[in-house]
Amino acid sequence: MVFLTAQLWLRNRVTDRYWRIQEVLKHARHFRGRKNRCYRLAVRAVTRAFVNCTKARKLKKRNLRTLWINRITAASQEHGLKYSTFITNLIKCQVELNRKVLSDLAIYEPKTFKSLAALSKRRHEEGLAAALGDEKEPEGIFSRIVHYH
Amino acid sequence: MSSFSKATQQWATFARVWYLLDGKMQPPGKLAAVASVKLQGLHKPMYHQLSDCGDHVVIMNTRHIAFSGNKWEQKVYSSHTGYPGGFRQVTAAQLHRKDPVADIPEDILKNLVEELPQPRKVPRRLDEYTQEEIDAFPRVWSPPENYRL
Repeated sequence: MVFLTAQLWLRNRVTDRYWRIQEVLKHARHFRGRKNRCYRLAVRAVTRAFVNCTKARKLKKRNLRTLWINRITAASQEHGLKYSTFITNLIKCQVELNRKVLSDLAIYEPKTFKSLAALSKRRHEEGLAAALGDEKEPEGIFSRIVHYH
Repeated sequence: MSSFSKATQQWATFARVWYLLDGKMQPPGKLAAVASVKLQGLHKPMYHQLSDCGDHVVIMNTRHIAFSGNKWEQKVYSSHTGYPGGFRQVTAAQLHRKDPVADIPEDILKNLVEELPQPRKVPRRLDEYTQEEIDAFPRVWSPPENYRL
């Protein structure tokens, strides 16, 4: 071994410990208590936070869909319809709007939602008439399916 | 599609509305279901769990609520005080007897906006029908003169 100076004798020393710790602490700065300052506690808290973040990506999709469904239920009840009737009849009229768009319309475009509800109600009545009435009567206006070829 | 800056400001969106619900001859479970929808704000298209969007519901005539079946004697409300030997079980009849029925204050009565429809249709008594309606009702059979009930 040839070490011409004392400095070269030192090997494998950590020199950037401060920055390694800051990398973790920067994600914990908005936490409550000592876990926003002390590295030991912060490591555990930050790991849990990241794990919850990944798990929540699936839950977010479920929660947002539930919220949209609740909002559409509220809006369709205002127009005297049930959510299930509204959605199924809208699909039968070939109106392929998803629940996100429907809930946004219900909040920001009430008149558009009112017309959608009226369309759904009319299709519902035509469906009932076709099921309960005689077979001889012709299909209703909104019951005709458009074929896109 | 829906831009928050382009939508016009509706200043009364988060205003709380006072509803009245008459509980005479109504099942308390259905009263609770109707009231809970309004209290949570699930009747509004802009519902969110964290936004305080519920309304107030005042239920009057709670003295005359009607449980169906034998629930007055059979339904048991259980609770525990936390102390040993503190398990309390009260039947619905006892709870109703000890429940205080307060008068609704005047300022609330003046603030009520709408009355909600009752969840159960109360049938009319025989003396509330007019003689013409009683005569118009079809008779299934009339007993012969020497028939003994």
